[in-house]
Amino acid sequence: MKSLGARVYLTRNLSKTLPLVGVIVLAVMLICAIVSMINSIPLSVRTIYHYSSTMMGLTPRGDAAMTATLRKIVEKEAPVPIGRIANVRASELEVRSIVGKWQFAVIALDTEDIQYLLDRVGTARIEGRLPSPGAPEVIISEPISRNLNKKIGDVLIGPEVDSAYSPQDVKVVGIAHTPEWLALADIGYYRANHFPPIDALLVFADKLSDQEKLDLWGVERFKGQRARVLAYHEVEKSSREMFQTLYKILDVVIGTLVVVITLMMGMLVNIHLGQRTQEFGLLQALGFTKKQLVKRVVIETMVTVVGGWVLGIFAATAMLSTVQRVMMYPNAYALEIWDEAAVRYTVPVPVAILAVALGTLLLRFRTFDPVSVVERRLV
Amino acid sequence: MIRVHNASLVYPDHGREVYACREVSLTLSEGEFLGILGPSGSGKSSLLYILSGLKVPTSGTVEIDGKNLNAMPDEERAALRLKRFGFVFQYPYLLGYLTALENVLVAHSSTGEREEAMELLSDLGLAQKVHRFPHELSGGERQRVCVARALFGRPDVVFADEPTASLDHKNGTQVVELLNRHRKGGALVMVTHDPSMLAGAHRTLCIEDGQVTREIAGPPD
Repeated sequence: MKSLGARVYLTRNLSKTLPLVGVIVLAVMLICAIVSMINSIPLSVRTIYHYSSTMMGLTPRGDAAMTATLRKIVEKEAPVPIGRIANVRASELEVRSIVGKWQFAVIALDTEDIQYLLDRVGTARIEGRLPSPGAPEVIISEPISRNLNKKIGDVLIGPEVDSAYSPQDVKVVGIAHTPEWLALADIGYYRANHFPPIDALLVFADKLSDQEKLDLWGVERFKGQRARVLAYHEVEKSSREMFQTLYKILDVVIGTLVVVITLMMGMLVNIHLGQRTQEFGLLQALGFTKKQLVKRVVIETMVTVVGGWVLGIFAATAMLSTVQRVMMYPNAYALEIWDEAAVRYTVPVPVAILAVALGTLLLRFRTFDPVSVVERRLV
Repeated sequence: MIRVHNASLVYPDHGREVYACREVSLTLSEGEFLGILGPSGSGKSSLLYILSGLKVPTSGTVEIDGKNLNAMPDEERAALRLKRFGFVFQYPYLLGYLTALENVLVAHSSTGEREEAMELLSDLGLAQKVHRFPHELSGGERQRVCVARALFGRPDVVFADEPTASLDHKNGTQVVELLNRHRKGGALVMVTHDPSMLAGAHRTLCIEDGQVTREIAGPPD
């Protein structure tokens, strides 16, 4: 074991090392957790509406006759082979998210189209059954079941539910085991009971990989016409734009936090280096060069800072896992435990602390005279 | 081995020049015990710093084996101190987080040297204390560890700057005896204000106001 190895100094000076590591761990954990939690909001948007990436919604505006026209245009002009075009109606439903209630849609299709959509989103199995033609019944996916705490036999929408109205109680008859958020009812019941009396279309590209191309074409093709295109890439785009301001605020907050932590750590490092003046003076008098001493302190600081950072990431992961298990999963809230963007936000912490430590060290050594130490003029 | 020619060390002090050493010339031979004697503030420590390369003289030259110490880059001078010189300072400076043994080995990393260092500490009466930390040792014991650190690796010259100043007379004498006995052919340059500590010196330089005022063959009277 080398007497002047970083391990010897760090392990034998725990009263100095641990507070430094502790502050870094807490800072990294805090930043990582905050960013992950904030990222969970746009992630929720993408997760909840991800089912729409498997289809393009096409709704006529103000003219019921447009549905057939739109179908013909798609059949004739679509740039990719079409797998299916389904007539659809829809009603509102509210789902819970970490930032409150969000609008969702109950999609009403005929039985074959329901089965097609469930297959397309990779449903592993169905508990219960599909809605019967014309009946006030709905099949929901497992995340919605968790989010709204609805089981087979429960009423999902109905006359008593203000935020999800239907003239009759629409009961859950099946739960689809898929990660996508889906609530699918029978179109016959909707045609007989729901307003407006206009069918919209769901257009499915034959290959899932062609869906985005079809969506982009749809947006351009029907621009300025009596039709509205609903496509997943629009959801992604609006979720990005929606949170731009929030992320700017987050950048300022994290930036300030990094500056505060760095200043604090800089002061601590400075105090610790001050306490080691005698050691540096003695070693330099014995024949160690400034370069060797700087290298040694840099290695010790790197071990402390990088070690603290790694532990901080572990701590954040452990904390987010607990939050996920206790709060997020039971409510089907989206949260990425290992969020690379959040980890990236923490990188300035070790980098800034290292830079400050190095600067402090070089400043100290610039005019350092070992003789002043051995003569006890400095200490 | 070391030759000093007309070396002066001048410090600026509020616009005027203060001479810590003034035109000192001397030669140190291999294996010699050179005593530098003088009252406090006479410039004897400054002379030791010039001799050992810890300070570069403002004028004059210091040569070691014919090489000009002043002209060497800092790194080369540091390497020279580390490999060829040993130091004992007035205050028994040790690294507090290292044991006595680790302090002796501070400039050495080879594991084979461990046994040798333990033997040296044992010779200096610290056999039972090799794994003790400095705060567990008395002042005399700490200075003996410093002596072991200075002697370890058989340096060509050991520089001792008032090594007995922080010790009582008995401990001080013991430390000087140990230094003299264990230097094994290396030269010893000892700075002190106490003539009794130079009993084993081959030659003594008396210094006052930065100048060598008298040279005595052997210890001072």
